[in-house]
Amino acid sequence: MDNGLRENLESFFQLAYPEFEILFSVADHRDPACALVDSLIKQYPHVDARLMVGAVDVGPNPKVNNMMNSYNDAKYDHILISDSNVRVNPDYLTKLVPDLDDDTGVVTGVVLGVAPQGFGGRLEQSFVNTFYARWMILGSAAGFPTVIGKSMFFRREVAKRFGGIANLSRYLAEDYMAGQAMLHLGLKVKHMTQPIPQIIGKHSFKDFWQRHVRWGRMRKMTAPLALFFEPLNGPIVSGLIGAYAFHKAFGISPLSFMAAHVAVWFLCDLLIMAAMKAEIDYTTPFFWLLREISSIPHWAHILAGNTVSWRGSRLKLEAGGVLAEPSVQRTA
Amino acid sequence: MGRIETKTQKKSPFGTGANRQNFPNSLIFKIFMQVGSYGPEVAIHPFMFISDLHIHSSFSDGKLAIPEIVDLYGKKGFGAIAITDHLCETNTLFGKAAVYMNRTLTPAVFPIYMEILKSEAKRAWEQYQMVVLPGFELTKSPELNHRSARLLGLGISQFLSANANIVELCRSIRAQGGVAIATETLWAERAEIASEVDAWEAAAGRKLSEEILESGLPKVASSGLHSAKHLTSWKTAFFCEKNPQAILKAIRDQELRLFFYDEEKANDLRNVVDVSRLGIRIGTDLVRNGAISGSFPLQIQDQAHGLKVSTAKTGSRFDSKAFERRGQRLKRKSGELLSVSVPRV
Repeated sequence: MDNGLRENLESFFQLAYPEFEILFSVADHRDPACALVDSLIKQYPHVDARLMVGAVDVGPNPKVNNMMNSYNDAKYDHILISDSNVRVNPDYLTKLVPDLDDDTGVVTGVVLGVAPQGFGGRLEQSFVNTFYARWMILGSAAGFPTVIGKSMFFRREVAKRFGGIANLSRYLAEDYMAGQAMLHLGLKVKHMTQPIPQIIGKHSFKDFWQRHVRWGRMRKMTAPLALFFEPLNGPIVSGLIGAYAFHKAFGISPLSFMAAHVAVWFLCDLLIMAAMKAEIDYTTPFFWLLREISSIPHWAHILAGNTVSWRGSRLKLEAGGVLAEPSVQRTA
Repeated sequence: MGRIETKTQKKSPFGTGANRQNFPNSLIFKIFMQVGSYGPEVAIHPFMFISDLHIHSSFSDGKLAIPEIVDLYGKKGFGAIAITDHLCETNTLFGKAAVYMNRTLTPAVFPIYMEILKSEAKRAWEQYQMVVLPGFELTKSPELNHRSARLLGLGISQFLSANANIVELCRSIRAQGGVAIATETLWAERAEIASEVDAWEAAAGRKLSEEILESGLPKVASSGLHSAKHLTSWKTAFFCEKNPQAILKAIRDQELRLFFYDEEKANDLRNVVDVSRLGIRIGTDLVRNGAISGSFPLQIQDQAHGLKVSTAKTGSRFDSKAFERRGQRLKRKSGELLSVSVPRV
């Protein structure tokens, strides 16, 4: 179960909005989350909530399969898909709904990593609150569909125009493809003004590494050029290039340049973290630097393969982020 | 505003008696309208509609999303359009680059492309009574225009790899029930593929291909639209029922005409230059007396058939030099070129 799952799920029962329903999607009735959801439904009888158990096999993406029952059974046209590690504020829907106007296809947001535990958890938080936030903001400004599946708010009638979410099940990054499909419909991808809190919880270094190999390979297959130049969106490689250039051009000491460059980069990231109201303490610079240094071998690892491990399955990715169905090896 | 004047002297421009028998029935106009100052006769066929068969969307290198294209053409009163995004070969460096830069259809995005086309076709019909045909432009060597080979597939339903050779691609398109339309880039291979394609794109954008016009091969005209500013261009007008199968059949049977469509005079057929009046008959490859010459404004007199066509349009963006070259060549060839005057305004 996700860290802080009860609090995360309970936050949706406490949403202050006139009319909504909550559908919890669980693939297997043996999932311990079922009992937790049942107890929350009993605890909040005035909230229209249901537990939907069972997956519909519409493609190789297990998350889409898991959502299909809820998606097909939802009462309302406006759909918010949210991961179980997201914890929302009571005014979340009040702020989210007005953003979905007629010109907008999907509303998503920048993720704010909170409550990390363990070494991997701190690295994960550093990744989410700096590099990931940077990419989301830059990508959005450049017109890329930077949609995250942690929070996707859209209209079912609009999604129907590209075949609904079932048509996204062939992709690992169903969120990115949903955003791309919305752009092809001439609609906008909008970011909420407030970040979406994600409870990071306990992660080992291995968890952190594998998780980002998976998402890195997804980026590799959906936007390979962007991944190729990804190291430039970090202080180490860009600093090395700058140090060499400034040394050649102006005779500035490479070490001095590098130190200044990394310091300025960190200050900029600190500004992003502060703007998102992220947790900052005296260890933040250490984990930030470690994450930035590890990003180089991480990037090389991402480039070296096309397979990912996800929810107990080994999946092979093809161009465009398509999951190669015949190669899916369910490991149970 | 430009105008087209036609004057019928001794004979109908569409022939009389035995001569008229050469025209397909659908071309014998059923309704003739008096159009005041535009000239004595402008014919409107009851099932006539204008189409654009070559349009690129945001799925490849087009600027507009498919719904924006539907609204653009629907509001202008078009009867049919075909969305034909690039589908590039992937066995070359530049083909791979097109994939990386999202400038081509890929197997990954094709299902979403088809779903959006399907839903937009429904909306286009309900909102504008306009047919939307699914298509693609199979593109080889996309990096170099002079080496590029492009084949349009209309009425398709399945993804094709553009890596196969052109003949195989034509056959695959036709096997899907679609029509294969060769662009001018394939002209050098005409001997090999003429029997494999349903039509040739004789005009793309504002440019007419003289060789294709004179070839006797079936043809269509379209814009190759990438943005709204490309709307003023050659188009194809159909004389058939407005549904996908009828349109595909009309392409195969050449129940169509080539038109120069001017956006500023949108949907007003009185102001549309009709190539058949300038010498190209529907369903045939006959270039009558080579009467295409000069640039707008132009006057053409067909003494043999008693036809006089003159326009007083200014600011034309025709490829006038190409027209003139063609006229001169035909003059040398036949020695019987009609009186063609090109008054400069």
